[in-house]
Amino acid sequence: MNAETRFDAGELPRLPADYRAPLWWGIVGLILVESVVFATLITSYFYLGIDQPEWPPAGTKTPDLVKPTLGTLVLMASSLPMHWADRGITRGDQTALRWGLLLSIALAVTFLVLKYIEYSQMGYRWYTHSYGSIAWTIIGFHSTHVIALILKTVVVSALAWIGYFSERRSLAVVVNGIYWHFVVVVWIPLYATLYWVPRILK
Amino acid sequence: MTTRTETDRPGVTEQASERPAMSRKAQELDRTWYSASGFVGWFTQVNHRIIGTRFIVTSFIFFLMAGIEALLLRTQLAVPENSFLTPDHFNQLFTMHGSSMMFFFAVPMMEGLGIYVVPLMIGTRDMAFPRLNAFGYYVYLIAGVTLYAAGFLGHAPDGGWFAYVPLTLPQYSPGLGLDFWATMITFIEISALVAAVELIVTVFKQRAPGMSLNRMPLFVWAMLVTMFMIVFAMPPLMVGSVMLALDRTVSTHFFMPSGGGEPLLWQHLFWFFGHPEVYIILVPALGVISSIVVTFARRPIFGYTAMVLSVVSIGFVAFGLWVHHMFTTGLPALGVSFFTAASVMIAVPSGVQIFCWIATLWGAKLRIATPLLFVLGFFFIFVLGGLTGVMVASVPFDTQVHDTYFLVAHFHYVLIGGAVFPVFGAIYYWFPKIFGRMLNETAGKWSFALMFVGFNLGFFPMHQLGLQGMPRRVYTYLFDSGWFELSLLATIGAYVFALGVLVTAVDALLSFLRKPDAPDNPWGGDTLEWATRSPPPNYNFEDIPVVRGRWALWERGDEPAGAVTGLHPGRREVLVTTLLDAEPHAVAILPGPTIWPFLAAVAVAAGFLGFIRHPIWFPIGLLLTFVGFVGWLWPRAVGGSAEEQVR
Ligand code: HEM
Ligand SMILES: [Cu+2]
Repeated sequence: MNAETRFDAGELPRLPADYRAPLWWGIVGLILVESVVFATLITSYFYLGIDQPEWPPAGTKTPDLVKPTLGTLVLMASSLPMHWADRGITRGDQTALRWGLLLSIALAVTFLVLKYIEYSQMGYRWYTHSYGSIAWTIIGFHSTHVIALILKTVVVSALAWIGYFSERRSLAVVVNGIYWHFVVVVWIPLYATLYWVPRILK
Repeated sequence: MTTRTETDRPGVTEQASERPAMSRKAQELDRTWYSASGFVGWFTQVNHRIIGTRFIVTSFIFFLMAGIEALLLRTQLAVPENSFLTPDHFNQLFTMHGSSMMFFFAVPMMEGLGIYVVPLMIGTRDMAFPRLNAFGYYVYLIAGVTLYAAGFLGHAPDGGWFAYVPLTLPQYSPGLGLDFWATMITFIEISALVAAVELIVTVFKQRAPGMSLNRMPLFVWAMLVTMFMIVFAMPPLMVGSVMLALDRTVSTHFFMPSGGGEPLLWQHLFWFFGHPEVYIILVPALGVISSIVVTFARRPIFGYTAMVLSVVSIGFVAFGLWVHHMFTTGLPALGVSFFTAASVMIAVPSGVQIFCWIATLWGAKLRIATPLLFVLGFFFIFVLGGLTGVMVASVPFDTQVHDTYFLVAHFHYVLIGGAVFPVFGAIYYWFPKIFGRMLNETAGKWSFALMFVGFNLGFFPMHQLGLQGMPRRVYTYLFDSGWFELSLLATIGAYVFALGVLVTAVDALLSFLRKPDAPDNPWGGDTLEWATRSPPPNYNFEDIPVVRGRWALWERGDEPAGAVTGLHPGRREVLVTTLLDAEPHAVAILPGPTIWPFLAAVAVAAGFLGFIRHPIWFPIGLLLTFVGFVGWLWPRAVGGSAEEQVR
């Protein structure tokens, strides 16, 4: 074989925590797929609503704004400690990592509790009419994501508390963070669709 | 693994004789990339060649099953007023046939080829996420086995392969058949999406140094485009199939008009996937054809850039076509015109492909072997299918032939021409690489001849049947309908075609039982998979090759231009390169064999299947899956330092 075109990989970094890591791209791919899923759900919401004389249907109250808006703010706030945590670990700051993760989890749990209260008082169910079906499905799907996030992050923070991560071994935290921010950001168009669109249409 | 010398492998090129015995490094690599065998070992393997082969073999088995179903259908239709099948069985059989062919054969077969061939072609040792790869396979396997098991237990779906609502809602289709169908379709999407993300990342980040995007083999381009199409086409269907499952199990009202649902929503979601689906099947086939044409014409492709651009534009335009399946649903006229125009437009890039192949083949010293024959068969059949495609893209004509045998003829010309013939070409082309044995050329030629004649004999008359008004999906017809002769001809053709398939299946089986005899590069191909042994060793390449041109092995006489050193042979290390120019910039350490992906797939299956019976299975499934994923991703070096894991 031709010696001039040899390339030595011995000194290349082994665990980069950025766009050089295939895992980073894998998460971007997952986010792309999920974005298409969420976009389809929103499109279906409009498609179901478009031919209806009233949306939400007569007899169903336009959704209230206070609790969901509060929940949205709480969820958005959870991105901050997450950011603090993953910035922290790339500098080797264990405290930021440990407490950042726990704080994010706490905020996400609060969001879920608010959603639970809100939906348990809802006057309609998924089997009431198509509006109920799509609203419950969107909420259910997103909440499932939040639950998955929480479970995932519990594991990551368990690893953080036993001191597994370091500035050289931070890929899992960074990737978990990217996905966290995605689940937070994707909530915003869902929130706008579920809570603002019916008001604008009325 | 044995080291083989030149003598026991006829026709070996020089490069093989330079490797008389396995080097120390090769031995260590072999240990590192080893997968356990045996029954338990089977559930732990993750290497891309193993998973790719499984996809190919499994999907071929589904192809045979679906073929048997087709023969049963044709047997029933051979003579008028036949009572070989009951109407119910007929409905179940065409549903299973269509669903199996589209979801369990065509897509997984293309994925399998991609998973097997792409990493070799781009010169890497494995895919970016080997365990995810295995997970995708198990999800697919469970889906297929469950759907068939349910079918044999009397819960076969019978709503056709596109399961139109409201027919498929519980009011009109009670029983579990469609519940299984909707759930298993969701599974297939999961499996396809997993493969898509994975192949995209592998192609983006693991190409051999020097293989910039504009030097990538056309097959890899085709796979990349296909995987992007999967990413955009499958999620909407997944949403649709989940909605259908919810309508059936927990009484939501997505599709039921009485509760404010929209039946057309299902059609949109289905065809937004369903049309690209045809191209998800076709585009990899185009890649196969390009590989075979280049190799057998023994010259570079004519118009590489035009080929790449046309494949990419097919990928885009395919998303603007779905409504042509819904011309008869009473959509607004403007929309219909738009979709007609788009449907005609897709003929342009397809034409570019065909002309570039012809220009490549023109005047070349062709080597006529079975893979090339299947490619020539593809040309003929696919062009005819494209022709009738342009016909049905026109609304008045479509309105006339919608739901008749004209359409059955059209889409079989497209699908068998555009997928089955290229897949058979690919089998003959890559079988030596995958299994280390050449397939028999005589058998190949017979198989091709029978398939080609049988296909045209069987399906060409269907055009005429359709024009005479014979509807699709009818289980029988009357004596005085005037359809008897052509129907019988169609049945005879189907049997001849099946015989051709059988010849290849038997040949493959017999070849597999023979002693390995395949040279490394039996066809003189230019891509990197031919630069390693047949079958490749566990680690694919002893040294990662370096590429200096578009025709990796033709630039300097059958060998890569150089090699990468410095990858640790004791760890599963692969080189990571930049997206555009494939400059090395990191090394990734891949995980090894494990049973967790299998357990995770079982957990997902438990959740989804349990849900058919009771919603409580949703949280149970979620939790089990979570446990599966934690086991799978649990770091190897908890407690150790980062250094230990890296150095
Ligand atoms: C052995 C060759 C084949 C034969 C003899 C065959 C025959 C048939 C027959 C008799 C039908 C039912 C037509 C009707 O009653 O409406 C049918 C439907 C269908 N076939 Fe095939 N077929 C073959 C191969 C394929 C392949 C390779 C594909 C796809 C990759 C395919 C996809 C379909 C689909 C999607 C349907 C529609 C099912 C439905 O109506 O729901 N077929 N085929
Ligand atoms: Cu179409």
